[in-house]
Amino acid sequence: MKCEECVEHLYEFLDRELTPETERAVREHLASCPPCGEQFDFEALFLKFVRARCLTQGAPPELKRRVLLELFGDE
Amino acid sequence: MATTPSPGPVDQKRASFEREALVHLDALYRVALRLTANPADADDLVQETMLKAYRSWDQYQLGTNAKGWLLTILRNSFINEYRRRTRHPETVDVDTIEPFAVFPEIQDEDPQGAFFDRIVDDEVLRAIDGLPEAFRETVVLSDVEGMSYQEIAKIQDVPVGTVKSRLFRARRMLQAKLYGYAVGMGYIKGSPT
Repeated sequence: MKCEECVEHLYEFLDRELTPETERAVREHLASCPPCGEQFDFEALFLKFVRARCLTQGAPPELKRRVLLELFGDE
Repeated sequence: MATTPSPGPVDQKRASFEREALVHLDALYRVALRLTANPADADDLVQETMLKAYRSWDQYQLGTNAKGWLLTILRNSFINEYRRRTRHPETVDVDTIEPFAVFPEIQDEDPQGAFFDRIVDDEVLRAIDGLPEAFRETVVLSDVEGMSYQEIAKIQDVPVGTVKSRLFRARRMLQAKLYGYAVGMGYIKGSPT
């Protein structure tokens, strides 16, 4: 696999959406190509960062109480 | 011999709803907040979604994808009742926006992306809120809620290829925004986008 093709699969690879054969081919390329490896690492880190920053937010306790009250008439 | 009364259908419905639907309250709220960009509307949207879901709970097949099912209800409610008054439909064709790659800009100075660590939650959420609606929703469903391309395609009622392309553009756009912010704050030298 060439760099260009490898980078085309970047997000599908990180999202675990590739077929096992293509995933293996990408993995092999990354192992032998430090620049592509660096780019993939950066993107993986970016996705992890976005997820971590956004997951700190959850439903307010008051909303949960409202929902339970409306559905079941209790808390 | 004393026997425990078996739970009635109402109790069973409630138990299965709590087990399979209510556990997704946080996820629904996060998505609702990004769609409406307003905590009060997000509260109402989630409450309405839960009410609709409970009413049609017998249409949901237990043990299948409750999160996707709930997010579809939430999305339809948003489109029908909130979008008109909260946000205006996009005037640009978002699927033709040219993506900007951040990695080439930072690969010499900060290839590990250490500058991300200095960017706080609120700034990331603000950057997501600044994305076009279709992108914002795709990014949240994928990157925050961990849905697969197939699940997102089903929720948004678009082909998987559209999800893929939106995700690519949305992530690049989000990166560019956060990179621009980091440069503006002096977290990284770079060149302003």
